[in-house]
Amino acid sequence: MKIFCPYKVKNIYEAVINMTHDLEKIKHDFLTKLHSLTKEADILNLKSEFTGKTGVVSELLKSLKDMNPEERKSFGPKANELKDFITEQCSLFLAKIEIEEINKKLALDRIDISMTENIQAKSIKSGGYHPRTIIQQEIEDIFLSMGFDVLDGPHIEDEFHNFEALNIPADHPARDMQDTFWFHDPQKTPKETKKYLLRTHTSNIQVRGMLSRKPPFRFIAPGVVFRSERTDASHEMVFTQLEGMMVGKDISVSNLIYFMKTILKEIFKRDVEVRLRPGFFPFVEPGFELDISCLICGGKGCSVCKQIGWVELLPCGMIHPNVLKAGGIDPEEYNGFAFGLGLDRLVMMRYGIDDIRHLQSGDLRFNSQFKLF
Amino acid sequence: MLISIDWIRDFTDVPNLPAKDIYSRFTLATAEVEDVVTIGEHLEKIVVAEILSFEKHPEADKLNLVTFKISETDIRKVVCGANNVKVGIRIPYAPLGVKLPNGLLLEAKKIRGVLSEGMLCSEEELGFAEESEGIMELSQDAPIGMNMLTYFKMKKDTILDIDNKSLTHRPDLWGHFGMAREFGAIFETPLKNKFTKEWATGLKKHFTLDSSPIKVRLDGESAALAYFGLSLSNVVVGESPEWLKVRLKACGLRSINNIVDVSNYVMLELGMPLHIFDRDLINGNEVVIKRLTAETVFKTLDEVDRKLEVGDTVISDTKGPLVLAGIMGGLHSGVSPATKNVFIEVANWKAALVRRTSTRLGLRSDSSQRFEKTLDSKLCERTMLRTLELILELCPGAKVVGGLEYGGMDLSLIPTLKIKTSLKKIQTVLGLDLSEEKLLSIFHALDFQTEKNNSEFFVTVPSYRSTKDVEQESDLIEEIGRIIGYDNITPKSPQDIIAPVKLTELQKIQRRVRDFMVLQGKSFEVMSYPLIGDTLLKHCSWPHSTSLKLVNSLSQEHDLMRPSLIPSLLEVCEKNIKHHDRFRFFEIGRAYQEDAKNFSKESLHLGAVFVDKDKNPFIDLMNVATNLLTSLNLSPEFVEMNTKFENALVPSEWIGIHPFEYQNIRVMGKFAGAVFSVHPLVLRNLKIKGHVTVFLFDLSLFTNYSAKDKTKYKPLNKFPISTFDWTVVAGADSLASEVLNACKKVKLKELRDVQILDVFESENKKFFTLRATLLDEAQTMTSEVLKSAESALVDATSKAGFNLK
Repeated sequence: MKIFCPYKVKNIYEAVINMTHDLEKIKHDFLTKLHSLTKEADILNLKSEFTGKTGVVSELLKSLKDMNPEERKSFGPKANELKDFITEQCSLFLAKIEIEEINKKLALDRIDISMTENIQAKSIKSGGYHPRTIIQQEIEDIFLSMGFDVLDGPHIEDEFHNFEALNIPADHPARDMQDTFWFHDPQKTPKETKKYLLRTHTSNIQVRGMLSRKPPFRFIAPGVVFRSERTDASHEMVFTQLEGMMVGKDISVSNLIYFMKTILKEIFKRDVEVRLRPGFFPFVEPGFELDISCLICGGKGCSVCKQIGWVELLPCGMIHPNVLKAGGIDPEEYNGFAFGLGLDRLVMMRYGIDDIRHLQSGDLRFNSQFKLF
Repeated sequence: MLISIDWIRDFTDVPNLPAKDIYSRFTLATAEVEDVVTIGEHLEKIVVAEILSFEKHPEADKLNLVTFKISETDIRKVVCGANNVKVGIRIPYAPLGVKLPNGLLLEAKKIRGVLSEGMLCSEEELGFAEESEGIMELSQDAPIGMNMLTYFKMKKDTILDIDNKSLTHRPDLWGHFGMAREFGAIFETPLKNKFTKEWATGLKKHFTLDSSPIKVRLDGESAALAYFGLSLSNVVVGESPEWLKVRLKACGLRSINNIVDVSNYVMLELGMPLHIFDRDLINGNEVVIKRLTAETVFKTLDEVDRKLEVGDTVISDTKGPLVLAGIMGGLHSGVSPATKNVFIEVANWKAALVRRTSTRLGLRSDSSQRFEKTLDSKLCERTMLRTLELILELCPGAKVVGGLEYGGMDLSLIPTLKIKTSLKKIQTVLGLDLSEEKLLSIFHALDFQTEKNNSEFFVTVPSYRSTKDVEQESDLIEEIGRIIGYDNITPKSPQDIIAPVKLTELQKIQRRVRDFMVLQGKSFEVMSYPLIGDTLLKHCSWPHSTSLKLVNSLSQEHDLMRPSLIPSLLEVCEKNIKHHDRFRFFEIGRAYQEDAKNFSKESLHLGAVFVDKDKNPFIDLMNVATNLLTSLNLSPEFVEMNTKFENALVPSEWIGIHPFEYQNIRVMGKFAGAVFSVHPLVLRNLKIKGHVTVFLFDLSLFTNYSAKDKTKYKPLNKFPISTFDWTVVAGADSLASEVLNACKKVKLKELRDVQILDVFESENKKFFTLRATLLDEAQTMTSEVLKSAESALVDATSKAGFNLK
């Protein structure tokens, strides 16, 4: 058996072991040299020293053809692997050097990445919705999802829509409860003159809404209302309400309770116990005060619910036949329910606002607390 | 209104439930109970003790260590500070655990090192007197160990404080008898009605055939519906018995004397106010009920001079008014300790007239409060007889002189109200299964009579409920629903057709505007008062205009409907400039104008404001305005102020407009808004240093309009775009828009756009470098085409006076 081999070995196994040993040595030599280099040209030279035409590794590969198949099979891949390794390491080192060079240039053009808007005194940083808007839209969306239209109407209203149509004739005590802002002195203006006022509730939309559609229908009417009331932390002369009504055939008190429970669950994002007790409102019969079990104590009694376990939340009831008639609806054929919700109270509950006057103060120290970003 | 459960028990057996159960049932069925007070509970635990011995407290001179017994075997010690301690006296002793009316809870504690087991009580501590000295000495035969409730022959009581507002529609509940009927219906206990025909006949036996010393005369139309008078002689005015005082006190009234107390007692029991005169102080032999024909000053019982107006109803004698009808008696003719003979008035008055007068005078008495609920004239006689019964009980020597005097309508003509209903209808409206038996038992408990007619019922409403409260079927349904308890109704979803719902265009636009202003405009939404004052308008130098004005405003700061958002916005600026150097905010709010036809016109405006102490925010806000309106699919045009075409949103005579920083916004050919800076002169008045730019836009435009999205896809360009830059010279005051407008004159299909590439100023001149973009979608442009476009552009700018540099 003829053996051609640069190494003097006793047998094929010994030859392969020696060659493998050489490859390790070559790799080690290469790495030692590579790590000492910092210039692009030197690396390129090194690369050609090992893998160039007459490079060490190339020479080894050339000798493959003189080996017997077994040796070639064992040694060939290892030698090719080393060639790839050297090529790859050189590219990596070249890239590293190039990056370092670019980085040096970048260092000359650095920006202060910490200078974001929010630390700059003169920047305009944020914007935000009024808390009323947040709650009102949230509630509008709940009602929209349950098939209620959203209506609005005039703030400056006539007596008919604000009172008479709602079964509140002149001299009705309910007119006292709602201290009204008038544009005409009711005492001094002749009876036949149409008298205007600022709506005292969003219920003025009831009749307008009924006249504008045919039953069955459902709608809500959120908006500001006006009461001639001295303002303090919990009273405003301008505040927001949400009126709602549903008219159809055979609408029942049990339907009313169903809607209220479902809607309140959505508003408060949890199950809410409700109870109805009689309440007197001229535009509904029967009329109710709807209480919810106190969200603070869960109904056990605390200072918020005055130890009762219930908190008065909204007036509601079955629409009075006279109101249906004023809305052009035959009370023999249709009936329905109506309800009112004080939006500002919900806003204050949600955010823990202690003074209702902040809502309309225009003081950005208040509004900016509701920033969106 | 305060209601005594003990008093209610005179008329129905309220079950012995915990107070909480009673009030919550009542709240759910009838009216809101605001508070519950138990009285006499402490007296049940406080017992009679006898002092055995006492010695000085080892550590305090003024205190005694008292030893006493509450039974032969139970001997105790307390520390006592009273100076009337004597061996052998019997005194009330409150053991540990008792809560006294003053709120003190007795707990075991050491007083200066000596343990005290409770307290020996004074009258004040027992709640019998406002003030007292020393411990209360009981009689020597007081049985040792007996509790105070038994000793004083008193009863425990629970007092419900009922929200008056929730009784507005229930005139029948303003007395204990009516309340008892309600309790009977709620707790299913029968009503003990002692006011029967026989009872009335019995009392009428006291009437005599004598001519009444005081007659009753109604003089013309007045507030009177019915007026009963009765004369009594030989009454003895004195102190009321304890039971009467206790009940009045429980209901919050002070005892005056037996006669006055009777009138209050009857009012609290039957719900109808009455008045008792000292008959000897009535001049002449009749009382006349009439409306005043001249202004009069009248001193009421509370010693206040009241100014009465023409039209107020009074009860007068020959010398003048004695009583202000339904509201309050006069000081002069009231019952006094010297009174011997009386005249009792039981009347019913028109609710609206009583209310009008009492509201005007600011005098809401127990009496007016009841009459304004619309009482039932048919209850007058019962009220009179009950008054007579009590006076005779308290003054057995009193004698009726004559009989009932009456003025007013024929009470038998008051129609009886019958309402038709059916079990099915009631079930449907309540959404509740209900037996006919239950239905009838509730009606009967509430004194509604029923006649059955096939599947329907005719329900007769008692007269005292039909004065205005119960009018129609829905009122009957309420009666059934509330007594059953709404808690017993199971919530059910209605069976209803499904119809699509959506926000209106205006509502959608409002939401989009808000989103844009918050996210892109980086602004905070504010809401200001739509009510403003003249001071603010003047402060903003707002041109004189007629604003809608309230006649009964609370203050002059808020008596006008704002004609524009601008004053409100400026007020917000003024408020915030104290705290911030730069800020942005917006409001979507209404402006209110007078309208000849409809009285008023309300329009919805967006007002956005950028404020900056240093940097002029005009361009920033212009950008926001342009982008917002473009995003709404409007193609806004910005045009300069034009005195020929007034912009209704910004009055041209307002001096607050900046001379140069102003742009009208035209949308669909209409002025719908403006962007402008506020003139420094106005800012000076508002103490604002810096720049304030306002963007105003009329959103009412969208009431019946939705701008369509006109975006259309086009294939991507296949041919190259070419650009051409050139620089022109302009005057220092020239605007970029003027230069660009000159380029607009060039009509070439290849010309896509001309924009400003650069501007620099030098030697009082401005140099604008322009870049034109050219493209032909069908082919690559030849150099000839490009050349001719370039020269057309240069010619156009030159022609406009901007020569090539």
